[in-house]
Amino acid sequence: MDTKSARDKFNHAAAEAQVYASSRKPTIWEILTSERFFKWTLLIPLVILLLIFMLYPLFYCLYYSFHQWGMQGNALFVGLDNYRHMLWDEAFLIAFGRTLEVLAICIIVELLAGLGLASMWNREFRGQNVLRGFALLPLLVAPLVLSLLWNFMLEYDFGAVNQIFAAIGLPKVYWWSPGIALYTICAITIWQWFPFSVFVLLAGLRSLPRDVFEAAKVDGASEWYTFRRLTLPMLSPLIMIIVVLRAMWLIRLFDPLYGTTRGGVKTELLDWIVYRTSFVIFDVGYGSAMAVFSLFLTIALCSIMFHLLMKALGVIK
Amino acid sequence: MLKRTLFWLVTLIVMLIVIGPLLWIFLTAFKNPNDIFTTELTKLFFFPPTLDNFDRLFTRYPFWFNLGNTAIISVVSTIAVILVAMPAAYSFARWNTGGGHLLFVTISTRMFPGVVAAIPFFIVFRALGLLDTHAGLISLYVYFNTSFATFLLYGFFREVPAELEQAAMIDGYGRMETFRKVIFPLILPGVAVTSVFCLIWSWNEFFYAFLFTRRAARTVNVLISSFWGSIEVQYGPMAAGAAIAILPTLLAAWLMQRYIIRGLTFGAVKG
Repeated sequence: MDTKSARDKFNHAAAEAQVYASSRKPTIWEILTSERFFKWTLLIPLVILLLIFMLYPLFYCLYYSFHQWGMQGNALFVGLDNYRHMLWDEAFLIAFGRTLEVLAICIIVELLAGLGLASMWNREFRGQNVLRGFALLPLLVAPLVLSLLWNFMLEYDFGAVNQIFAAIGLPKVYWWSPGIALYTICAITIWQWFPFSVFVLLAGLRSLPRDVFEAAKVDGASEWYTFRRLTLPMLSPLIMIIVVLRAMWLIRLFDPLYGTTRGGVKTELLDWIVYRTSFVIFDVGYGSAMAVFSLFLTIALCSIMFHLLMKALGVIK
Repeated sequence: MLKRTLFWLVTLIVMLIVIGPLLWIFLTAFKNPNDIFTTELTKLFFFPPTLDNFDRLFTRYPFWFNLGNTAIISVVSTIAVILVAMPAAYSFARWNTGGGHLLFVTISTRMFPGVVAAIPFFIVFRALGLLDTHAGLISLYVYFNTSFATFLLYGFFREVPAELEQAAMIDGYGRMETFRKVIFPLILPGVAVTSVFCLIWSWNEFFYAFLFTRRAARTVNVLISSFWGSIEVQYGPMAAGAAIAILPTLLAAWLMQRYIIRGLTFGAVKG
């Protein structure tokens, strides 16, 4: 490998030397595709995109989070007032707490369902490919459309779910009442996303080494013991990936709210309150402050996720 | 025997829970209002099918126009994303350019809370006259999907051994030729998978579409959501619109089932 890369460096040095030997200036194209700069040339479009679409909103939000501004007229510098207000704003704190609650409920239920179904389906059986095909369907359907669908299916009188409940003797439920609506939204989200953890964990289970489990069986270890001491530890990298990825998506839950409660009946979450403050009340300064808070939260999660992904791809040990 | 029965019973129930609601969209699309708002259980499943909802949707609302907007925006943004992400991913995978820091910055844009970017973009779009235009929404989707595409392609590029490339270069290919004639054909499946994912993300996106389009560039999701208004809820046209709008995503999910888990985990799990 070393001799090869040395040779290919040599080839290129030779080609570049020709350009210099012909005593003309290299064209811009030649410089850009030269061995030294080519890797950076490839990144030019990406870097431009990041500069425009990442740095601009970031600085903008930081700037306005220190100002009071209603989308018109001049912004008034207020220092840390927006952040101070945030700490005492009950609506914000409740929305934040609710987001954490949704996060915990969804991730735990999805993981349990995932572990259960994955260990059940971890065998060869007829129709397993058809089953996978169907089970993965909801994952790619627009969350907004699904929320509208569930809103309709969970309607008190006409909704299919309550009618089926009544038919099998269960009491009808006011799915969108203040005490329950938040959990209904959790249930919708779980319904869409549990196949994700099932099939991630199933992929993990299928790749586990067989011999260890056979050895455990020979030694007379119970199924539960094998699961707890062998399967779970070996799956833990995947479980971490599921937890972090789902946490990142769940923090930004917005579409399921729009199709159902629109932030009413005690279901206002973090993204919704930022949206409402900025685009309904037009308090851009305060909205920006909350957005910055939300950003720091996800950046922290993101760095954990990045580390896990690089590990899974084998880039770092 | 008991174990087998239990296995199939649980499997059946799970499948019903997953598929039932999706089928419900298609069932509802063919019902007339009386069958939609019925309290008789049998009528919910057995009803005379009608095309009224589709008829109303096509004649009274700009459904095809909005679906066309969604298609244009998804396709154009996906092409742009691939053009930006492919060279970048190649550079990251082959030379580890930027020592991982730049890659981290790239992926973190995907994790940006949508609302953080929404406020500044709204202001600048208003100033530039980009509100309610295809170009505006396309540029947002490019920004949004590039990080994901870069990372997914990065995984695919890493599977191509560097030796292949060196062999090609010894044969006298330049960098560009090596990429075009050796690397590109090898990662074509990866590019296809990444493109389909970007298409679907753009197709499904709602938050930006809802904030940044009103009439001229309104996407189909925004139209569908408008049926759930404050005055009356029009479940019929809503279901008819949803039934058509989700067909491409269902088809993609079925055809790509081998790659869904890989895509959703940014390449970390090879499902």
